Amino acid sequence: MQVIYHFLNQLLPFEWAQFDFMKNALLAVLIITPLFGLTGTMIVNNRMSFFSDALGHSALTGIAIGVLLGIDNYMFSMIGFALLFALAISAVIESGTTSADTVIGVFSSAGMALGIVLLSANGGFSKYSNYLIGDILSVRPNELLLLLCIFVVVLAVWVLCFNRLMIASLNADLAASKQVNARLYKNLFVILIALIVAVSIKWVGILIINSLLVLPAAAARNLARSMRSYHGLSVLISLFSGVSGLILSYYMGTAAGGTIVLVAAALFFVAFAWRRLRARA
Amino acid sequence: MRLVPFIRRVCKPVAVLLSLVICVVGSVHLVGCSTTQKADSARVRLLCSFYPIYIMALNITDGVDGVQLDVMAPNQTGCLHDYQLQTEDMKNLESADGFLINGAGMESFLDKVTQELPELTVVDSSTGIPLIAAGETHSHDHESHEQSEEEEEVNPHLWVSISNCIQQVNNLTEGICQLDPAYADSYRANAQAYTDKLSSLRDEMHAQLDGLPNRDIITFHEAFPYFAEEFDLNIAAVVNREPDSEPSAKELADTILLVRSTNVKALFVEPQYPTTSAEIVANETSAAVYVLDPAVSGDMDKDAYLHTMEQNLQVLRQALA
Repeated sequence: MQVIYHFLNQLLPFEWAQFDFMKNALLAVLIITPLFGLTGTMIVNNRMSFFSDALGHSALTGIAIGVLLGIDNYMFSMIGFALLFALAISAVIESGTTSADTVIGVFSSAGMALGIVLLSANGGFSKYSNYLIGDILSVRPNELLLLLCIFVVVLAVWVLCFNRLMIASLNADLAASKQVNARLYKNLFVILIALIVAVSIKWVGILIINSLLVLPAAAARNLARSMRSYHGLSVLISLFSGVSGLILSYYMGTAAGGTIVLVAAALFFVAFAWRRLRARA
Repeated sequence: MRLVPFIRRVCKPVAVLLSLVICVVGSVHLVGCSTTQKADSARVRLLCSFYPIYIMALNITDGVDGVQLDVMAPNQTGCLHDYQLQTEDMKNLESADGFLINGAGMESFLDKVTQELPELTVVDSSTGIPLIAAGETHSHDHESHEQSEEEEEVNPHLWVSISNCIQQVNNLTEGICQLDPAYADSYRANAQAYTDKLSSLRDEMHAQLDGLPNRDIITFHEAFPYFAEEFDLNIAAVVNREPDSEPSAKELADTILLVRSTNVKALFVEPQYPTTSAEIVANETSAAVYVLDPAVSGDMDKDAYLHTMEQNLQVLRQALA
């Protein structure tokens, strides 16, 4: 870690970079945002943005379960619950009796409400309210390592299975004709999202985690001309808003997570305007 | 002939509905209803707004027959920042003979209460205590800003200073004696005994703390100005004035620079709130994190405040040495 700090100090002779917590936050942003940009592309393609939002909300119940079980690190209960929750949602959607957005809406509000009820049962909700906004500044070196592991796993899955994930999300029949088990890959994707959301929620926050997943990809979609440029742009936009948002928040004294999202939102509107202008020309 | 299938058809939903209702009601009972009505045996029912006041009242009314003492906010709530008055609370208040409050703006919902229940006797424990403005760390001379005293927001964490706590106990005792004059002597005797304990604790804390070399501290949240004034500690900075949000990067950086440039050795966090931001600061400086308890939540035991302060004394001895 000291080596990395030293390297960053050489690289970034700025006021904000002299603090270890800012360096940790920067490293976290450098790991998390490409991850969000990458997976966000498929979330936007599959119209799953509401789904990932529900996953974020479920984290509150995950924390509550962790508290009830007396676990010190809520990460495990959050990941466990998020996986269960995600698979339950996709199973109910698969059954086809109710439309997807209704099912997600039901699960999302139930997950949030259960979390609030359990956590406020003994009046101590204020202890957990920082999960709502998240706190990227509190990230520690060993947690960075965990993020890095998730990053590697997701990247590996993406590289190895992208075509199959893509075809499964496009059309189940087409997937079957190519000998791809659509359901398996859909669930794989859902699990991946659940993992990313649960791991990063502590630093990004329940209220804004979905914006980070959706906004960069949505902006990139306005600009991209191919699948490859769509991915590349999404990751770039995500990275850019993460880093610039973090630095801006330092100088303006604002909340880091919110500032990052605002930069991403601004980029979305710029991309949107660009697309409109290009379409008109 | 058709009766049996009909019954079957009806029975299932009814059974489901019934079991659902039982589940919901059962779980509500598990969580526990907080409404308390005046018991038949009670002569006078006193409702305290929150935990510190409850502990004081517990000592004042100790051993007096026919007193029913309740507390409105659950004892883990901590400070009443953003406390939302619930329907239960109004019912609770309606059946009370006296409402014992901290005052100094802690009960931000008080206007609503006095509007709805003009008959209710409110005993304000803050009467006569010099108040510190919110955001300041020392009380000012009265001359300097007498004009704006009314509108200004004040720091309500009075009881954290033992001297104020003694004054609050005395104020509450007077109020309770007026509500229940027949037992005034017992209340006064109890109050005397408790304030004696408090002042001897204060003397002991002075004896042990006054000689310690480091007087500069940094606190996270605003609970300690009165305490610091009593023991002549200098609060160099308060990070995180608002209890529900984390400090921004700029705020953290300023605090770190402040700690590095001054000789602040101790960062004090409160057990009621997360400690992450204090740990970040401690990580980058030579200061250490200590837990100082403003006695705003804890056991429903009448010596709880004394125990908490004794614990704080031990922490301070270590932190300021």
